[in-house]
Amino acid sequence: MPAEYALSNVWIGLGIVFILFVIFYGVGFMASRKTSSDEDFYAAGFSIGPVTNGLGMAATWASLATFLGVIALILKLQVPFVYLWIQWAISIPLLTLLYGTSLRRMKAFTPATFIKQRYGKPATIVIVCWMILIMIMYALGQMIGLGRAFELLFGVPYNTAIIVAGVATVGFITIGGMYGATYNAAFQMVVMTIAMVVPMGAIMKIMGSSGWWFPPLAYGDMVPEMIKNIPTFFDMKYDFRWYFALIPAFTLGPIALPHLAMKVFTSSSVKSARWAVVWFALFLGLLFSGTYVVGFAGNFFTATTGNVIAKADQTLLILNVFYNPTLVAAFVMGGAVAAGLSTIGGNLMAIAGLVGADLLGIIAPDMETSKKMKWGYAALLTGGAVAIIMAFRPPKFLVTSILWAFGLLATTATPAILLGVWWKEANKLALIVSSLFCGFLFILISPHVIPSICVGKGLVAALGMSGGMVTIPLSFAMFIILSIVFNRISLLKAYAPTLVDKKVIDRIHGWGTDYEETRYNGITSPLIISAICLAIFFWGLQPWT
Amino acid sequence: MKEKLYKKEITLTIVFSVLLLLVGHSASIFVLFPGLQQGTLWGFPVQYIIPILLGWFGVAAVSLVMTIMCNKFDDEMEEYVSLLPPETETETQTEKIYE
Repeated sequence: MPAEYALSNVWIGLGIVFILFVIFYGVGFMASRKTSSDEDFYAAGFSIGPVTNGLGMAATWASLATFLGVIALILKLQVPFVYLWIQWAISIPLLTLLYGTSLRRMKAFTPATFIKQRYGKPATIVIVCWMILIMIMYALGQMIGLGRAFELLFGVPYNTAIIVAGVATVGFITIGGMYGATYNAAFQMVVMTIAMVVPMGAIMKIMGSSGWWFPPLAYGDMVPEMIKNIPTFFDMKYDFRWYFALIPAFTLGPIALPHLAMKVFTSSSVKSARWAVVWFALFLGLLFSGTYVVGFAGNFFTATTGNVIAKADQTLLILNVFYNPTLVAAFVMGGAVAAGLSTIGGNLMAIAGLVGADLLGIIAPDMETSKKMKWGYAALLTGGAVAIIMAFRPPKFLVTSILWAFGLLATTATPAILLGVWWKEANKLALIVSSLFCGFLFILISPHVIPSICVGKGLVAALGMSGGMVTIPLSFAMFIILSIVFNRISLLKAYAPTLVDKKVIDRIHGWGTDYEETRYNGITSPLIISAICLAIFFWGLQPWT
Repeated sequence: MKEKLYKKEITLTIVFSVLLLLVGHSASIFVLFPGLQQGTLWGFPVQYIIPILLGWFGVAAVSLVMTIMCNKFDDEMEEYVSLLPPETETETQTEKIYE
């Protein structure tokens, strides 16, 4: 990066980040005083109101990538990447509609709490292992980004930056538990939104836009100049299958992300969870629209000034260093740091819940609540330490793409949750077989393991879109068909859903003690879904251009 | 009554899932029907700004209607459950883990 794009006074950057961390630790300490049970630690006592939760959900979902990675990809791929990002706004609404409120009704800590009740211990171990792998990939990506942000802000070596940023981050998250993670995330969302949107107003004014008063949507007068310089900027570029492939990998994957589901579960009631979703959509839409305008302005900047942005993921900082005072640029980096921290907070709380509550519930079901909570703290701390250590020399496979991991989650966990909540016939062995087979198949046909047997090529394969279009529908179809077959084989009777398993489904849908065998128990609709899934599977296998 | 409630729950879930998919993936419609990629709104090409607007205000609007209708449905469900005969002791023990 040219020297003129660096932050001219590192002490200003240091001051901003120091103030933010003092606030995060303060919130963490206050939250720790409210934490006295496992319900407090994993679910903030099921007490969070809609506005705070909406902010917290948005902050947890909007990671460091919102400030760095996505802007770089808009700079590289232009408008199609904007479309990819837009659809992520429906993740939490869909999650809440399809299973979030049902699992909130049973007071689950994580989605695996439901898996354990519905499918039993072996299936839970399989799903928990997949979720932990994905959470570590996720936290690792954030930790590396955080280290790079600190490196950039203060000019310290990457390894030093990782230690300082990692230890400081894991510290305040461990202290605060879910109360701290939620209140901090709500505050971080405010910081992130101001840092993303407000400085862009000043930049747009200098760039000559009359819409500087509302950066997210009022830059239309810059469009003719943009088209003159980059005629292809608004081209949709890819065929319909590329856009359809966003659904299996990037819509169905995130709805099974445990750290997002846990935010829904912290709500003070089922109804409050739904109201939180409305606030989430408004807050996240504002932040995401800010991201798109930065991507647009980055392209506009390079096209009209002749300057080159060598490191595309630093576009936001470069624009602010170029156009705004140092204090503003430092605050923007503070916003990026807040984005990383809110997501790491969610990731680590998910690891703590999956290990401390779900796995430990299998290994030591009779353990006292206070001991379970201590194990939760230990799991959170260990998860953070693992992410820091791996960030020194990250395994290439794990950091290739967080986005790729969404396809893995959609393949392995989404069918288990959705069919478990909505279909009484879902069979325990069918889940284990389909999740393991399709999960490993997804890894195998990706370009990251054996490139010669990859489905798709280039970006579509690297992001897991082509692979996901094969394994995700296959996983759903396999799970449904195997469930129907296994439930009718007397030798496999032990894996068939019991009356207790089926009663769980009616209860989480709010039917209380009113049990009805035929409810959520059809065969025709699942078979139709299987047929559609198999058609998508074969479509996904066709050569990708 | 319970059959009606069951059908209503399934209908609400399917309708709002489809609506959320439509507002989140509206860009696909412009690819499927390229003829729609004409004209501008607030200075932007429609195929750019419409998906952004639907991805923000569209998702918020669908979520708002979803919240109002699903919360109303919950009220109806709670009213139905409150009319059920008293639980047995075993059922009460199982019930404890649910709200």
